[in-house]
Amino acid sequence: MSTSRSAIEHFGNAFVWTNRFLIGLFMVIMAGLVFTNVVLRYVFGFSIGWAEEVSRYLMISVAFLGAGLALRQGSLIAVDLLQDALPAKAARALRMVIVVIAFAFLAVVIYYGFAYALQFWNNRTPVLRISQGIPYLAVPIGGIFMAVHLLLGLREFMQRDWLAVEQLDEEDADEFLSEELREHPEPTDGPETRDLRP
Amino acid sequence: MIAILLVSFLICLAIGLPIALVMGVSSIATLLLAGGQILPGVDPLMIVPRRMFSGIDSFPLMAVPFFILAADLMTAGRITAALLNFSNTLVGHIRGGLGQVNVLVSMFFAGISGSALADAAGPGAIAMRMMRRGGYPAEYAAALSAATATIGPIIPPSIIMVIYAISDDSVTVAGLFLAGVVPGILLGLALGIANYILASRRRMGDRIPRHSWRDRAVSFWKALPAIMMPLIILGGILSGFFTPTEAAAVSVVYALLVGLFVTRTLTLASLPGIFVRSGITTAAVLLIVATASIFAWLLTVGQVPQTFAALISDLDLPQGAILLLMALLILACGLFIDTLPAVIILVPVLAPVAAQFGVDPLHFAIMLVLNLTIGMATPPVGPVLFVMSTVGRIRLEVLSRAVVPLLLAELVVLLLVIYAPALSLTVPNLFGYTR
Repeated sequence: MSTSRSAIEHFGNAFVWTNRFLIGLFMVIMAGLVFTNVVLRYVFGFSIGWAEEVSRYLMISVAFLGAGLALRQGSLIAVDLLQDALPAKAARALRMVIVVIAFAFLAVVIYYGFAYALQFWNNRTPVLRISQGIPYLAVPIGGIFMAVHLLLGLREFMQRDWLAVEQLDEEDADEFLSEELREHPEPTDGPETRDLRP
Repeated sequence: MIAILLVSFLICLAIGLPIALVMGVSSIATLLLAGGQILPGVDPLMIVPRRMFSGIDSFPLMAVPFFILAADLMTAGRITAALLNFSNTLVGHIRGGLGQVNVLVSMFFAGISGSALADAAGPGAIAMRMMRRGGYPAEYAAALSAATATIGPIIPPSIIMVIYAISDDSVTVAGLFLAGVVPGILLGLALGIANYILASRRRMGDRIPRHSWRDRAVSFWKALPAIMMPLIILGGILSGFFTPTEAAAVSVVYALLVGLFVTRTLTLASLPGIFVRSGITTAAVLLIVATASIFAWLLTVGQVPQTFAALISDLDLPQGAILLLMALLILACGLFIDTLPAVIILVPVLAPVAAQFGVDPLHFAIMLVLNLTIGMATPPVGPVLFVMSTVGRIRLEVLSRAVVPLLLAELVVLLLVIYAPALSLTVPNLFGYTR
């Protein structure tokens, strides 16, 4: 039991790390390509023809591969009014319904995503002349990533709604916390704008 | 068919599915139940991956990740403190001083970031804390930060405007950016005046002595790298040097260089985290665009724009009344739907109707964006309110009540923008961005 749980945890951590790594890497390459092209155009009078296509496909990959991470850290906004209004048990049942609907949605995205990529596998992209199916794969693979994140975060979601968790990352939270601590011990009366100065 | 779409949309929204999934799920439900009549002979669900991919397969849209990244890099560079400081030396001595600082810093920050949420979570949260320490009631401080955050998407750059330009071919990103300048400044002025009146009536806040010009110059120098950013973006686009997407990429590199070498507050070790975080924010935004484009496609196939146009024509109203009617409709949508999906859903339906009645597309765009952005700070679905309520640990009901007078000031600006097209159109006209 404990070994299987730690194995899952291990896989979960490795998965999140890989996913984050891919997203970060794609962002860097994207920004690098577009910027390089601007510089090349103005300084050397030419530009890389494939930069636009590659960076566009990278953005699409960031969107679909990063969606699972966004879902997990609660960056996808939902309306929680009904859930908040319901008694705990009913809210739990409702959340179960949400999870089922989300999985059904992802099943459609994954199945038809692959079907769509296969259908266009023999077409070529305009500039790179690679299979058009390759960029299309971002949709179903992103769907799989989202499903894995949903599974890995299922317990957190059922216990306390992660979708409502504040959107700050830990660093920010720490920073705010220390400021809060500074604020509370002695309530000051005067304007204290001076301590803002770096 | 449209009935299925709308009913399933409302059900999914009400039970608390994330909005990106709401639009995907309701589209799939519609395709399953009525797909046969839309696409006879083919599997209607094939439209799902097709629209999701093509909905974000756009080079202009790449401005979105770059603006997000540039803002994240700038904020990590502690530029927020420099901007707060500079704003304080400029307007801190006015009545409601720290409130005025809150307004002004949001205006400066709007030139760096194109998102109201980034403004609320960044300078908004810090300005709120500052106001609380300076003797303002907690709920008022949070409400003002929520209200000022809505300036973010109006003053360029603006993520929502990039997405608007993709939904409506008759406007360009550059034109929208220019058209937002005056309304954005007006919004800041209106909130500043509202804050002045409220601060004097309720005797809120401590007075701050006037700063010397020397102080102002010093703090201006420190804030200069941040103030330069919108100038580089707008200047680059207007001079024809870059497209908006390229301008956004240039601003990423600018923010990076400033953080690493000028303010020296960015470290190489902190960069991967920032890139990943911006990537995740990008994904959250673009997933909505992707699923909303299935939804928008269904609306178009279902002839909703034409039906709506016919409906409006039948009313036989003057242009002014039609604009007001549309504004009320947009406002009502903004109460319940987040800005981004609302733009993608409403623009294809409303923009053609507005154009048919002789409203300039840019004028209409600014009116719609401003209207929906105000909706970000209104309950029940006000993302900016949620952020301030969480960060400030204030109950949403209390915050919602405190924000009302500030929203009234914003609605005055909205009415001005609706009935004085020159406010939106003069600047783009100067640079030849209108018809």
